[in-house]
Amino acid sequence: MSDLLCIATIILVGIVQASLQLSLGGLILLYHASMGHHRRRKTRFLARHYIIGAAVISFLMVCTIGFIISTIFNGALRTEYLVICVGIFVASALIMWLFYYRRGKSTELWLPRSFTRFIQRRAKATNDNIEAFSLGLLSSFAEMPLSIALYFVVANCILNLSAQYQIAAVLGYTLLSVVPLLILKLRVKSGKNVVEVQQWRLRNKAFARIISGSGFLVLAAFVTVYWIF
Amino acid sequence: MKKKITYEYSSRGIQQNVLRYARSQNVPENWAKQIAERVSKATDAWIADKDTVTEEDLRRIIYNEIKILDPDLAFAYKNHDKII
Repeated sequence: MSDLLCIATIILVGIVQASLQLSLGGLILLYHASMGHHRRRKTRFLARHYIIGAAVISFLMVCTIGFIISTIFNGALRTEYLVICVGIFVASALIMWLFYYRRGKSTELWLPRSFTRFIQRRAKATNDNIEAFSLGLLSSFAEMPLSIALYFVVANCILNLSAQYQIAAVLGYTLLSVVPLLILKLRVKSGKNVVEVQQWRLRNKAFARIISGSGFLVLAAFVTVYWIF
Repeated sequence: MKKKITYEYSSRGIQQNVLRYARSQNVPENWAKQIAERVSKATDAWIADKDTVTEEDLRRIIYNEIKILDPDLAFAYKNHDKII
């Protein structure tokens, strides 16, 4: 596989990962809760640590799965495992279109209510940077049912890259996966409030659903064409 | 059957709660205090002739009052638990 193809796949997977909404929702919740309690400076620190937490889980997952692939699968996923990943992507596309968002005028997700309440409680109780970091880890980790296959494909691509690009690729992927969080942070820093962002999410819920679902489907087609055949 | 939890109504609690929401939306401090005060007055007036009310009713009254004063804040108040 050429390096260019690997990089294209990594970018595509990064975009699909970035379209998942739980981390973004968690950060909005954190802003909501923190800005009412703390000074802006403190809220900025909490948001920064939340984003670092979300990035760290992406980074660690890619590295861990890369290690698993290189030790158990001898450096590259076999075709049958890639077919399984493609199957998961197609299923994820259907989940995105049909179940990901709950019905009604809200941006509530597919998560069990008890778990959502737990994240809300944690966001309200977050007072220091370590708690914000943990909340970032948790909200990224909670999306694992949808993102685990993404990690396998991206780790496989990174292992196929030339050695000198591998670390840059892991870091690039990690950065790409937290781009929505960084955009939200920049918007809040530039004076916008989180309600505007939440209103935008609500207005464009159908659009986000189509983009995420289509992203998974395009990724499935891409992996099938370039990695399986 | 799920046990119902009851709280004593607190005008000050309502004020603090609304103030917290207002601060989280970058509402200027003085305006936030005015909103909180007006909302608590409205809930005081509404609750005066009632023995028991549900939290949902109280939230509806608060929402209606905030909506008149600051629609963005009302949106935040109504949707804070519908983000994820």
